[in-house]
Amino acid sequence: MTSMNEWPRGQWLRLWSALPSTLVRATARQLAERYEVEDLELPQSGLGLMPLSDSALGETYFIGEVPLARSQVRLASPAQGPVEGAATLVDDRVGLVRDLAILDAAVGARLPGHESAVELLAQGATVVAESDHQRRALLAATRVDFALLGTAEEDDDE
Amino acid sequence: MGYVAIKGGGRAIAGAEAAMEALRCAEGEAGTPLTLAAIEQQLRLLTSRVVSEGGLYHPRLAALAIKQMQGDTLEAAFALRAYRSTKPRLLDLPVQETRQMRLIRRISSAFKDIPGGQMLGPTTDYALRLMRLDLADESPEAFRSVSRRFMEGVADSDLPDSYPKVVDALREEGLLPPLTRSREAAFDITRDPLVFPVPRSAALATMARAETGSLLAIAYSNMRGYGDVHPTIAELRVGYLPVVLPHPVTGEPVEAGEVLVTECEVVAMYEGADSDGPPTFTLGYGACFGHNEVKAISMAILDRALQKGMRDGPANPSEDPEFVLLHVDGVDSMGFASHYKMPHYVTFQSDMDRLRTTQGKADAAQSSQGVES
Repeated sequence: MTSMNEWPRGQWLRLWSALPSTLVRATARQLAERYEVEDLELPQSGLGLMPLSDSALGETYFIGEVPLARSQVRLASPAQGPVEGAATLVDDRVGLVRDLAILDAAVGARLPGHESAVELLAQGATVVAESDHQRRALLAATRVDFALLGTAEEDDDE
Repeated sequence: MGYVAIKGGGRAIAGAEAAMEALRCAEGEAGTPLTLAAIEQQLRLLTSRVVSEGGLYHPRLAALAIKQMQGDTLEAAFALRAYRSTKPRLLDLPVQETRQMRLIRRISSAFKDIPGGQMLGPTTDYALRLMRLDLADESPEAFRSVSRRFMEGVADSDLPDSYPKVVDALREEGLLPPLTRSREAAFDITRDPLVFPVPRSAALATMARAETGSLLAIAYSNMRGYGDVHPTIAELRVGYLPVVLPHPVTGEPVEAGEVLVTECEVVAMYEGADSDGPPTFTLGYGACFGHNEVKAISMAILDRALQKGMRDGPANPSEDPEFVLLHVDGVDSMGFASHYKMPHYVTFQSDMDRLRTTQGKADAAQSSQGVES
């Protein structure tokens, strides 16, 4: 049995969005059949201007814009009362972001039925780990070993 | 000859559009349409260029723009900008820190032993510029096995997620001025026009979405001698920057996605002691969306040149904020160049009229001189 405690809430979106959206949408649909979903704000897509901290002089500037979609929902739970969830994603699919907000609400409040969404976290973690592994491979395969250059008495000062 | 309205222009324009499409699909039965995934992955540096110059990190739409514009980077960036102009600004993002980047490449030309080590990552820096003729007839099977074989050949590693910055090490040694976080609001070039003098944040934002070749050309003028930055790359890094936003309900930081970024810090000539402390090296900074190393380096060099120009007054074009910032935008400059293709019949008619009048006067003057002599 997978435990939601393995992943902080701050990583849930990353893990869920690493999966095919059909998986997320199917699980959200199951939860939506179980709980009444109220949109606290209509799902929207748009842009966010991204400020970056310049690491040379410590000034902030806008590097450009990113697509954003956001949604905030309330699930009516007879046992626990209303619970809220939300998602803001670097993406422009409003349907997906609403489904992610539903998962966020269900898992955040540990509503009955949230286990399937936690299972998706585990699956997403596997996908993210594989992606991380591939990126590390790019680094590991190209790490420069200057000590070996020194051993071979090559001049690497230039 | 007067002003003449032309009939049939609409049909010609529709025909031109169809002709463009016909050429895009000219392979006919033998052809296969480019998928957006193929453009995004196999032409990843082209996609990087368009997300950067379009000013919108949307690789999939950038790939679509490349396909639609048949590889024209200026038009693709234009399409991306046009798309962004139709979208609402949804929220203000908090300031993002590049120290959290998940790197795929990091190098320094200042030190060989940088904290965390140097990793070349995916680069052609050390490749021979010889044509790989095997790619001309690449089989799908061979293509599909390359990435898998690469992964199989790399041992598991315990490399960290993020790496310390070389400039931080230089700061600790007192070779750079201490980092002081500015509280000044950043300039939004998408909403406010550049009215000079502009703050450095406007210059950085303008260069971040500038056309690569334009930025390189002006930075190159500085490198060749019309300037004196003399840069050394403290660090060049390429990686995925997590975009962290507050959770709308709990307020806790949430990773909402990631963007590929290239970042470069150059160390430039040191400046003499003043009342604030001992002499230290000066710095230039460049960072843009996508994997665009030449652009980030050029931006860092020009940042340093512009800092000097803003403080002391420009001594050469690359130090002049107005000259640099008003001439590096690809969509602006391409638009101006392209507008010359539009009908100028009336203005040119006027030019011809004036020329003929002047010629007539010159002829008359010559004739009268001939009579007098």
